[in-house]
Amino acid sequence: MTVAVIESGTRPPLRQWLAEAFAGEGSAWLFVFKAALALYAATWLAMWLQLEKPSTTMITVALLMHPQSGMVLAKSFYRAIGTLAGSVFGVLLMALFPQQRELFLLSMSLWVALCAGGATLYRNFMSYGFVLAGYTAAIVTLPAIGNPLTVFDSAVMRVSEVLLGVIVAGAVSDLVLPTRLREVLRRSAREQFGHFLDFARRSTGGTIARRDMEQAYLRFVRGAVQLENLRAAVIFEDPEARARSSRIRLINQFYMSATTTFQSVHHLINRLQRNGRADAADALIALYRPIGEALSPEPAQQHDPAVLAPRLQACEQVLPALARQLRDALPAPARLDFDTGAILLQRFADELRDFALVENSLRAKRLRGNVERVQFRRGNDYASAGLAVLRTFLTMVALSVFWLASGWPHGASAMLIATIFAGLLAMAPNPVSAAFHTLFAQGVGMAVAFVVTFGLLPRCDGYTMFIVATLPFLIPGFYVQSKPAVSTMGVGYGIGFVSSMLLTNRMSYDPAFFINEAIAQLAGFGLCAVAFMAIPAITGTGWQRARQLRQLRRQVVQAASAPLAGLAYRFESVNRDLFLQVVTYTRPDSRESRDLLAWALTVHECGRGLIELRQDMAGSQLPASVEQPAQQAVQAVARLFEAPDPARWQQAEQTVTEAITEIVRGQSGAQAGSRRVLLHLHQLRSVLRDDESALAPYMPAAEEPVHAS
Amino acid sequence: MPHEVSIGGAMMPGLVVVFFGCLLLMWLFDTVLGRLGLYRYVLHPSLVRLALFVCLFGAAGLLLIH
Repeated sequence: MTVAVIESGTRPPLRQWLAEAFAGEGSAWLFVFKAALALYAATWLAMWLQLEKPSTTMITVALLMHPQSGMVLAKSFYRAIGTLAGSVFGVLLMALFPQQRELFLLSMSLWVALCAGGATLYRNFMSYGFVLAGYTAAIVTLPAIGNPLTVFDSAVMRVSEVLLGVIVAGAVSDLVLPTRLREVLRRSAREQFGHFLDFARRSTGGTIARRDMEQAYLRFVRGAVQLENLRAAVIFEDPEARARSSRIRLINQFYMSATTTFQSVHHLINRLQRNGRADAADALIALYRPIGEALSPEPAQQHDPAVLAPRLQACEQVLPALARQLRDALPAPARLDFDTGAILLQRFADELRDFALVENSLRAKRLRGNVERVQFRRGNDYASAGLAVLRTFLTMVALSVFWLASGWPHGASAMLIATIFAGLLAMAPNPVSAAFHTLFAQGVGMAVAFVVTFGLLPRCDGYTMFIVATLPFLIPGFYVQSKPAVSTMGVGYGIGFVSSMLLTNRMSYDPAFFINEAIAQLAGFGLCAVAFMAIPAITGTGWQRARQLRQLRRQVVQAASAPLAGLAYRFESVNRDLFLQVVTYTRPDSRESRDLLAWALTVHECGRGLIELRQDMAGSQLPASVEQPAQQAVQAVARLFEAPDPARWQQAEQTVTEAITEIVRGQSGAQAGSRRVLLHLHQLRSVLRDDESALAPYMPAAEEPVHAS
Repeated sequence: MPHEVSIGGAMMPGLVVVFFGCLLLMWLFDTVLGRLGLYRYVLHPSLVRLALFVCLFGAAGLLLIH
């Protein structure tokens, strides 16, 4: 019996092991096939069209092919723009400085450097556009530098070659067995929707441990940013998704604001319970119950927005009456706490309903009407882009000076290769080691190219024989390229191989020229790698983390002072983007990561509270006796987040408390507007006093919880 | 339409202009078809898109030459 068990137990593991070992192989070989197809098709076309240097087309294809074929169209779009911008700039530069090499090379270096900096600022595809803008300007002008009169023809030729490569790479990736990103987007959007609703439904009990909340928060943030990334790619691949693009953006915004409100509610309830205000907390939990019920139809329909939206709408109607009823049952001191939670809960129900409504219209076959346009803003770190610009600039200037001073005939090739890799490596997460691996791969590619060019190609006759001679050496490069962890090595090998072969439309064989060229390219690349050591990338360093944390805190200052139009959306998206950037480089569960999470939650709650407060203040005519103290409270909180310390904390807390007492005192008319302002202030104060939040270290040690009545 | 157009003093083939015009037209088509959800009824949407573009560009290019 045991033997049988063991036997039946060992078999599946072997099969499983095989299945696991070959899991990514299918897609990897598909990529190899597609890359080779694109490369040879493009080269054949380049030869057939009698372009001067088919090798430019080959380099472009080798640079561009990417395993995620769904993204290639998005990339092709930006690449085409980058190519055009680069070539126009190249010709312009040549026209401006036809005789002054020094000025020409200086501006060229600056251009390439700015492109490399731009590549680090934008994530995924746009960054490729920047890489290509630098690369094309270099490739168009550098070979023609000795002969400015031919630059226009040369530019037209190079642009044709590069664009041919771009078009063929895009067409092959999109047409031949494409893997669609659309399905991924749809799946992840639905998962996100379902997961959030489940979470909201399960937590009707009211209390969620801080830890669970933090994990959930991480997941929400990741979901929101991932959805935006996918959306930005899918719109190029799928016209239907493009038509839905503004809805996807809108739903992401609703999702983000609903998660923020959800967290605020739960933190408030937790705080009330900790501070001995169980009566208010229980009343809030009772008020939450109808929302939970609205989210719980039969299990089969729990994720169906068409069912949920009307239920949530009905629930929204019930809430105010229930809130009044619960409020009347409470003792007077608990009412302010309860009201604070009640407006949060009503907002949450509101946002959930919008969320379900948009999700429902997103799933409809035909779209009707238009929706509000919103933007997903990114939080960029300009220091790291600035460093990339400086580094690339110095590399290019050093190369040009060396080229000019030595009269090196192959300087142009060195600069060209440096341009390519300065842009590519600037985007890599760990550039120095990536640079050395790539350098090695490039060297191997060149050595192989030498063997192929002088050993095999002279005996080849016709295009078929050319493919037969080169394909076996290209496959390993493409295969490596399909593995994300080492893909730059594959690119390095491919570019080393293809660019050294120097395929021209009438093939010439010149070993000395070949070797000189190879040395130049290695030198160009080597200098690039050295530059990365001299001016290291700051991505993922403690310094950058501290900067980003400061930027995250400054979001609260933004929330307190920036113009209100569109501020809520901007705040939510920049926050998440920033947070995710920092989180990627911190080890999970380390002290930094916990600190960061705590800060992110506090920033979120405070900033959102400030925005709501300011919106209410702007929306209603408030007497000066209400407006002034509230304004001061907003400024005090902003100052606290600008540079948190105990004194500022105390000041902020005091100002907010004063504002509350002042409004309560002067509130004889009990105007609806000032009532809401009062509640927001109250919520702000409870966030400030939260002893589990990131602000805890700045609080005086033993503080008696004081409650305003 | 002339076979060659002068852009900033440089002669460019008229086909280039036609090409960009077709891209723009294609973008419009794409938007409308996507909004109506017509791409759901074809097997290989990107092939259809490419074919549509080739038809557009081919027709416009032939019109230019004749």
